[in-house]
Amino acid sequence: MARLRIIIRDLSKTFTQGPRDIPAVSGVSFDVCDKEFVAIVGPSGCGKSTILNMIGSLVAPSGGEILVDGERVGARPAPQIGYVFQKDTVFPWRTVERNIALGLEYRGVSAPEIRARVAEAVRLAGLEGFEEAFPATLSGGMRQRVALMRSLIVNPEILLMDEPFGALDTHTKLDLHAELLALWGARRQTVVFVTHDLSEAITLADRVVVMTRRPGTVKIVYDVKLPRPRDVIRVRESEEYLREYGEIWHTLGEEFEGRAS
Amino acid sequence: MIRARSDWSVWAWRIGILVAFLAGWEYLTGIKAISKTPGLYWIDPFFISRPSAIAQRFVQLAGPGVRLSIWRMALSTVQSTLWGFAVGITTGFLAGLVLGRSDRAARIFDPFIVAFNSLPRIALVPLITMIFGFGLLAKVVLAWSIVFFIVFFNTFQGARSVDADLIHSARFLGASEHQVMRTVIVPSALAWTFASLTPSISFALIGVVVGEFIGGESGGGLGYLIIQSLGTLNAADMMVALFVLGAIGIVMALGIRQIEMRLLRWRPEYQKR
Repeated sequence: MARLRIIIRDLSKTFTQGPRDIPAVSGVSFDVCDKEFVAIVGPSGCGKSTILNMIGSLVAPSGGEILVDGERVGARPAPQIGYVFQKDTVFPWRTVERNIALGLEYRGVSAPEIRARVAEAVRLAGLEGFEEAFPATLSGGMRQRVALMRSLIVNPEILLMDEPFGALDTHTKLDLHAELLALWGARRQTVVFVTHDLSEAITLADRVVVMTRRPGTVKIVYDVKLPRPRDVIRVRESEEYLREYGEIWHTLGEEFEGRAS
Repeated sequence: MIRARSDWSVWAWRIGILVAFLAGWEYLTGIKAISKTPGLYWIDPFFISRPSAIAQRFVQLAGPGVRLSIWRMALSTVQSTLWGFAVGITTGFLAGLVLGRSDRAARIFDPFIVAFNSLPRIALVPLITMIFGFGLLAKVVLAWSIVFFIVFFNTFQGARSVDADLIHSARFLGASEHQVMRTVIVPSALAWTFASLTPSISFALIGVVVGEFIGGESGGGLGYLIIQSLGTLNAADMMVALFVLGAIGIVMALGIRQIEMRLLRWRPEYQKR
């Protein structure tokens, strides 16, 4: 068994809205191993983003605990964690290359090294020719590439991704899936990827954590047995993919039916 | 942005309107109501002068050896305006940034700021003159007292509305609190500050001219020239001062716009298409 990097035990979160307490997450437990790619899927409002935010210290848990590399998460995110938001968080006043350079600047890396590493990242993301462009001139997909490279350039060992491709069209999404898998294949970060898109989860992940409706808890954890490296287009035509998709889809469907009754 | 092809027709219209206006003015103030009776006009040039007379006075006031040289007056006005503007922006920006990022300080200072800002600034002119005398300083202080609040409120808003996720992303990338301030909060707030520059420069000019109305000859300025012309019922001098003031206003606004376009070139509305 590989080393456990993230341990989540009986985690719960209740939001207070006026006089009412709204339980968002309750009794969630699962682990993430080193170099593992875990996706969390579930109906909207099931608290999957809240779990991610708690791992990243953006939201304080109401109960239970999260250990990252053996340390309880505190008020500030652990330094080995990188985070990619669904929302566009590229700094609009910085050019593409200066956005990608941010993490290196913060760490006081020397200018020549920043230049070299940013150039490499720009090449990997296929953003050549746009180094000096401001984000306002880029498409949503390109902006998300910048955000991804900006997170990856500081070599985070753990990468938290909150529906990073949620706002993109299908083609752009597939492109970015392929790129993410290639980048991940090279570095093997530990990834926790939140999405509501089941096909995305199966295409990318080693394991899929399926959540129940709110208050969200873990319904079941599926092992995705698709071989790697995966071709993001062809993988969807395989028997195994269809079988797993059908199975998880059925499980998720129970959650939607539950709501109707 | 409108491209060069239509630029010439826009300019032709502008010049045409200006020429028609000046010609009409010149013509109408030349028609006598009752022929041959002196001093009775349909539109009396005594009150609004005539373009030809204004041009004549301008040449005289611009020439050497005049007591109220138009250049000296204009320079004094521009100087006071720019000083008040510069000091107002700097202090307003810093105050807005500090109060915008500290809920406690914002709560403590809020009533004072609202009270002082709702005071009509013109009511302060005599007090400021009493404290700072009749010179340049009083005019600068007056301009500052207006610019400060415009910039302050904008920067305050800007500093408060910084996208929390941008701050979080910076922290995930390893930014210290100081680096978050420098690379996230200051640039976001600056975008709001820049938006306040154009109104600020106009209001700085208003503050200075009002200061000059009450200030003496030692303060000088175009406002002083206007009040002097009122004393001597000299409409031509007054019009010269107004035209020069208008020209100064245009040049300053264009300058600010240039600076704004340069500093905010990352914004979608300033992107070259």
